[in-house]
Amino acid sequence: MWNYIREYFDYRTFLIVTALTAIGLLSIYSATYDARASEIFGRQLAWVGIGAFALLVVMLLPYRLLQFLSVPSYALSIALLVAVLVMGKTVSGSTSWFNLGTLRLQPSEFAKITTALTLASYLSRSDVSLRRVNNLAVAAGIVLLPMVLIMLQPDFGTALIYIGMFFPVLYWAGASRFTLLSLLAPGVVALAALFGTTAFLLAVLAFGFLLYITKENRVIAALVFSAMVLIGISVQFIYDGLKPYQQKRIAAFLDPAVDPRGAGYNILQSKVAIGSGGLLGKGFLRGTQTQLNFIPEQWTDFIFCVPAEEFGFLGAGTVLLLLILLLLRAVHLASAAKSPYAGILAIAIGGTFASHIVVNIGMSLGLLPVVGVPLPFLSYGGSSLLANMIMAGILLNLYAHRKEY
Amino acid sequence: MSLQEDILHRRRARVLYWVIIAIAILFFGRLYQLQLLYREEFSTKSVENSIREISKEPIRGYMYDRNGRLVVDSRPSFTVTIMPYEFSREEIPYLAGLLSLDTTFILDRLKNGEAYSRFAPVKIRRDIDFQTLSALEENHERLPGVSYQVESKRFYPTGARASHLLGYTKEISDHQLKSLGKDYVQGDVAGASGLEGQYESTLRGRKGMEFSVVNVRGQVVGRLEDGKQDNPSTEGEDLLLTLDFGLQQFAESLMVGKRGALVALDPADGGILAIVSAPDYDLSWFSGVTPPRIWKQLNQDPSVPLFNRATLTRYPPGSTFKMVLALAALEHGIVKPSWRVSCGGSYRVGTKVFKDLHVHGSVDMLTAIQKSCNVYFYQLMMKTGLDPWSAMGKAFGFGKATEIDISEENPGLLPTTAYMNRRYGPAGWTRGFLPSLGIGQGELGVTPLQMACYAAALANSGICHQPHAVWGVANRAENRIDTLSLYPPHRMPVSAGSWKVIREGMRRVVEEPGGTGTLARIPGITSAGKTGTAQNPHGPDHAWYVGFAPFDAPRIAIAVLVENAGFGGTAAAPIAGKCMERYLTGGSAPQTGDAKTPPLASAIPVAPGVAQ
Repeated sequence: MWNYIREYFDYRTFLIVTALTAIGLLSIYSATYDARASEIFGRQLAWVGIGAFALLVVMLLPYRLLQFLSVPSYALSIALLVAVLVMGKTVSGSTSWFNLGTLRLQPSEFAKITTALTLASYLSRSDVSLRRVNNLAVAAGIVLLPMVLIMLQPDFGTALIYIGMFFPVLYWAGASRFTLLSLLAPGVVALAALFGTTAFLLAVLAFGFLLYITKENRVIAALVFSAMVLIGISVQFIYDGLKPYQQKRIAAFLDPAVDPRGAGYNILQSKVAIGSGGLLGKGFLRGTQTQLNFIPEQWTDFIFCVPAEEFGFLGAGTVLLLLILLLLRAVHLASAAKSPYAGILAIAIGGTFASHIVVNIGMSLGLLPVVGVPLPFLSYGGSSLLANMIMAGILLNLYAHRKEY
Repeated sequence: MSLQEDILHRRRARVLYWVIIAIAILFFGRLYQLQLLYREEFSTKSVENSIREISKEPIRGYMYDRNGRLVVDSRPSFTVTIMPYEFSREEIPYLAGLLSLDTTFILDRLKNGEAYSRFAPVKIRRDIDFQTLSALEENHERLPGVSYQVESKRFYPTGARASHLLGYTKEISDHQLKSLGKDYVQGDVAGASGLEGQYESTLRGRKGMEFSVVNVRGQVVGRLEDGKQDNPSTEGEDLLLTLDFGLQQFAESLMVGKRGALVALDPADGGILAIVSAPDYDLSWFSGVTPPRIWKQLNQDPSVPLFNRATLTRYPPGSTFKMVLALAALEHGIVKPSWRVSCGGSYRVGTKVFKDLHVHGSVDMLTAIQKSCNVYFYQLMMKTGLDPWSAMGKAFGFGKATEIDISEENPGLLPTTAYMNRRYGPAGWTRGFLPSLGIGQGELGVTPLQMACYAAALANSGICHQPHAVWGVANRAENRIDTLSLYPPHRMPVSAGSWKVIREGMRRVVEEPGGTGTLARIPGITSAGKTGTAQNPHGPDHAWYVGFAPFDAPRIAIAVLVENAGFGGTAAAPIAGKCMERYLTGGSAPQTGDAKTPPLASAIPVAPGVAQ
C-alpha cells in the first residue's frame, strides 16, 4: 500500500504545500488580528478549501487531457486578459481584476499556468528545436503575448514572473548558451545603465566577453553586442530626458533608502519587523510591527514578515526552507520525468514559483526593489492561491505519470 | 527520450539545484544578518515605532501669603498642538489664520519638533479662547494632526498685583531650555521673572510619563504593560510668602500714578510684608499668550514698568543716610551726642560751598537728626573721615546684595578709600568729596530694599535679618512644610547707648514739632523715621523716607522712594505712615486658624509670628 502511494503520490510536495498553506493561514490570521480579522481570514480559509479541491482535481485529471487542454486554455486566458483590460476593475492603480459577484478573479494569475502549459506543449514537439530561430521566436511569442497584456494593466511584477519562467524553460529545453546570453544581455545591460555609466560599461564588457567565448557566429555575436550597447545608451538618454520627479521615482525603486518616507518606508518597516524577531521571535500575535499595522497591507506582499517577526529566525527559516524544498522538488521531478513535456512543464512551474519567491522575499529582506508579487501559498489573495494550488496539482499529476513517455 | 538527452537533463538539473541552493544561501545569510547580527538595532527601532511617551504636565505650585490667603493659583487653559507626522504643511497658512500666528512661526516650531520626533506633539499656541477652540473643532477634518492639550495658566485671585515680586511665567526661552535641563521641551512654560523664576524648580513639580502602545496611525491602542512603567506627574510645591496681601494691595494703591518703590518688612525676621515698584503691570497679561502689542507697550514705556525699582534702582539715599554717619562718629568716639555745631545755612571746604535748606542755629546731634541739618553732618563727616563711615554703612549691609530671594538685585555702591583710589587715583580726589557723602549725596547708591533692611536694623537696634519673601515651601502630597533656611541674624557692633541716641533722634523726626517727618505720624502709635531728599541732576529731587513702628516694639520697618517728587517729608513720609498705620491697626486682620494644628490638608498655615 505504502509503496503504491509513494509511486503515484508525491507526498513530499503535498506536505510542503500543506505546511506552507497552514503557515500562510496563521500569518494572515495574525496580520489581520483586529476588527477586520474575521473577514480576511475567513475569505482566505474559503479559498484554501477551493484551492485544495482544485489541487485534487488537477492531480487526478488524465495526463493527456492536461496536454490537450494547453492551447485552448491559453487562448481563453489571452481573451480574458484582453477583456480585463477593456472592462476590468481597477485596484490600487492597475486594472487586473474581474468582479464576479463576491469573487474577484485575476486572469493574469491563471495566464501563467496556461502559458506554462502551452510553452511545454510547443517545446516538447519533436519538430521544434530551440536551435532554430523561428521556433525560438514562437516560444518567445507565447510568453510575450500575455506578458505585454499584463504590462498594459499595468502590473510590472506579474509580467516579471514570465521572464522568471521563460529562462529556466529555455535552458531546460536545450537553448544554446549563446541564445540565453543574447536574450539576457539587453535586459541586464539596460538595468545596469540605470545604475550609472560604470555599471553599464562593466555589464557590456562582461557580456561581450561571454559572447566572445561562446564561439558562435561572429556576425550574430556582433549584432547582439551592438544591440546591447545601443539599448544601454538609449536607456541613459531616456533617463536624462525624464523629469526630475520621474528620475527620483526610478532612483527610489532601485534604492528605497533614498526615500525613507515613500518607497523606502515599507522596506524599512519590513526589515525592522524581520530584524526585531531575533532567533525565536516575539510570539504568535505578539509582533508589534505586525499587530500595530506598521507594514501596509502586510497580509498580501509582506506576509513573510509575520513568521519572521513572531517566530524569528526559526519561523522565517522554516518558511524559506519549505519554499526551497518545493523548488528542488520541481527540478527533481523534471529530471525524473520521462516525457519532455512533463520535464518542461515542471521546470516552467518551478521557475514561476522561484521568481515569485525570489522577488517577494528579496523585497522583504531589503535586497531587491519593491515589486508587488505574492509569496506562493502564504500571501492573502484568492486568485493567487488558487493558481498556486493548480500548479501544485499539476506537479503532483506529473509525478504520478513521470514514467510515461 | 534518448540516453544522451537523459544525461543532458541530469546535468541541467544539477546546475539548477546549485542555482536554487545559491539563492537559499543568499537568503539565509541575509536572514542571519538581520535577525541575529542586527537584532539589537531593529528591536530598538521596533520599540520606538510602537511605544509613545506622553508627558503629563504637573500642576504648578500655588502661592499663599502670610495669612494663608491664596494669592496665586493655576487654572486650566487650552494649548494647540500639532502631531508632525499627521500634519500636512500645506495647511499651515490656514492654521496660521485661525490662530492669528505667523506661518513662519508655525513652520519653525514644526521643524524643531520634527527634529526631536515626528510622533511627539508640538505645542503651537498657548491659551486659546473658546471661540478659537471651537473653530479648530469645526475644521478638524481639514486639519489632521492638530489637537489641543489642557495646561494650566496662572490666575491671581486677590486685588493686589505684586507684579515684580511674583513675576510671570512664559514659554520657555532657548536659553532656559539649555540651562534648565532635559525635563523641559520647547513650548513648556517656565518661570521667567520674580519668584516664578527664582523658585521655578520648586513650583514646577515633575512631569509624569505615560507609555502607550500606538499603531501605525499613532492611535493609542493600549497602555504598555498595563501602565506598570508609567510614572505620574508630581504637583509643584506651594510657596508660603511672608507678604501680607492686604497691606500689599493698600501700598500699591498709595503708589498709583507715582514712580518709585516701597518695601516694608517685619523687623523680627526680615520677612517682606509688602513690596511695590511703581508703575507696575498686570500679571494676568502674561498668564496666557502675551499679545505683542502689550509687550511693545511695556518695553517702550519711558517709565519702564517692567523694571523692578524696589531692588534694582540705585539712587543716593539723601538725608536718610545721616544715621550711618552719626553712629560711626559715636562709635569711634569722635563726638559726643552733645557736640554742637552752629548752622549758618552753608559750609565751606576750600573753594567749595555746601548748602543747607535752612539756618538751624546751634544744633546738637538729636536736633540735627530731627531737623535734618546738613551743616552739622558736613562738619561731622570731615571729623569722622571716609572709612569709619564706610565701615558703618557696610555693617548695615550697604554696597552689597541683601541676598533676598528675588533673582534680580542691585548691590548698590558704598565708597571707601580703596574704592576712591581705584576710581580716581590716590591723588585724584580730595576731602572735598566728603561733605556730600555725609548727607547721603554724591557717589553713593542704595536700593529701596537696602533702605528697608536699614530701617529694620534701626528698629531692632542693630539686629539684621536676611530679607526674604518666601518663608516656607508646602508639599501638599506629602503633607509637609519645609521652612527655608536663611542666614542667621547678626548683631551689628554698635553699643546700646549709640542706638538709643540715634533712635531718639528718629523718634523726634516724626513725633516732635519741627521734625521733618511729622507727616508720617500714626495716630495713637509712636513711630520713628527719617526723611531724605536725593539730589537728581536730571530733574526734580527724589523723595525718601525710612521708618519703623511702634517705636518701643517695632513690628514693621519701611522704606519709601518716590522719584522726582521733591521733599521726602512731604512726598514719601505720608505714604510710609499710612502703610504702617494700616498694618498695625489691623486694616488687614490675619485670618483666623487653629494655631496648634496646622494641617495642610485643611488649610495652609500662616507665617510664624502671625497672630492666630
